[in-house]
Amino acid sequence: MSDRTLTLAEAMEMMADAFNEPLENLSPDTDRDSVPGWDSMGALMLIAELDERLGLELQADVSREMRKVQHVLDFLAAHGALSA
Amino acid sequence: MSFSRIDGFRIAGVSTCVPPTRVDNLSLGDRYGAEDVRKVVSMAGVRHRHVVGDQLTAVDLCTEAARRLLERLGWEPESVTGLIMVTQSPDHFLPSSACIVHARLGLPVSCAAFDMGLGCSGYPYGLYIASTMLKAGGQQRILMLHGETPSRFVHPDDHATTLLFGDAGSATALEAAPDSTQAAHFGLFTDGSGADGLIIRGGAFRDPRPADPRDLCVRMDGAGIFNFTIKRVPPLIQDSLAFAGLGVMDVDAYLFHQSNRFIMKHLMKKCGLPDERVPLTIEDTGNCGGPSVAVTLTRTQADRSRELRLMMVGYGVGLSWSSAIVHLDTNAVLLHGVCDEPPALDASPPEPVAQEPAP
Repeated sequence: MSDRTLTLAEAMEMMADAFNEPLENLSPDTDRDSVPGWDSMGALMLIAELDERLGLELQADVSREMRKVQHVLDFLAAHGALSA
Repeated sequence: MSFSRIDGFRIAGVSTCVPPTRVDNLSLGDRYGAEDVRKVVSMAGVRHRHVVGDQLTAVDLCTEAARRLLERLGWEPESVTGLIMVTQSPDHFLPSSACIVHARLGLPVSCAAFDMGLGCSGYPYGLYIASTMLKAGGQQRILMLHGETPSRFVHPDDHATTLLFGDAGSATALEAAPDSTQAAHFGLFTDGSGADGLIIRGGAFRDPRPADPRDLCVRMDGAGIFNFTIKRVPPLIQDSLAFAGLGVMDVDAYLFHQSNRFIMKHLMKKCGLPDERVPLTIEDTGNCGGPSVAVTLTRTQADRSRELRLMMVGYGVGLSWSSAIVHLDTNAVLLHGVCDEPPALDASPPEPVAQEPAP
């Protein structure tokens, strides 16, 4: 569990930064395959952002299973890191 | 054993050698795609790499580094009592690479010589073994060589590793200094459960002739290795400092294994290390495995005007991670250069020098 939280807007901004994708192109329903920057390097960026901003450890195998933006949000919620 | 303190030795010098062939990653856009190359270069931080091709090996690079160091130090080969070769890029399964280097350098039969099979964490491990041998007595001068040629492990279609890895060899000269008041501190760790994260599956005895030729090349789980690194390295640095009774600013330079600029920057931020104390050399020499610690030392600390306290940090294949906090006095020699001449393959090594037994 994280002792820090992000709002939905902050979480989306974090993913936009990690994947170098314009924020307006991302929504919870966005597929991973439609985000060019969500490749192996983007996955590293996301792991780093979660570690740095929230102290959360996103394991490589969990990261690989994430197919939509919603899955990242679900991960945040499951670790108490997504505020209402 | 996790942490230990060892005194009674000094580092007399460090020499590093890279192969003459220098690749500009940005020239490989036609092969890997300009955008992919640009991303790797900007994130991993590798613009140029020195690679061996099929002419040179880690033994060649280390031998040349050692020759230059012995010459500069004025050490006669007969005076070397121990030779340690840390490598996962051996010339042969057997004999050990150390024995080949022993012959090439003309070291005496009284010299102990052996290999250690470690990669990214190998430099602090090698220093630890050398220092314990000196502390144990009997040994006076040890050459600790660490060389890798990871560019020969990669599959040419795997741009994540091909664009990352370069090659290098190093030689570190250590000598007994019984009256020295400076102690070194070491931390050595292993998690073999992560061995699959960075592995060449085939080609050795477990699977000598793999069905998939790709198994003769390195496979790297980049995200898994990153998980390992951010989990293990920050505590390693913090605990090493605490064990030595030091604060972050008591160390003049943190010499990281040059794994990937993005990863190193993340570690620096997480550990609160100032940029100016963490030299990066990955842009010009790539990730050359564990010897990148030595390359970073020789390329960045040669112009010192006072004694330095250094922390060396290795982490990666194994999974294995290690630290060494050492002193480098102003007399210690630091050399870096290009290995220009591949040795002739049919060159006969000099005869080993026989020494009279001590009375």
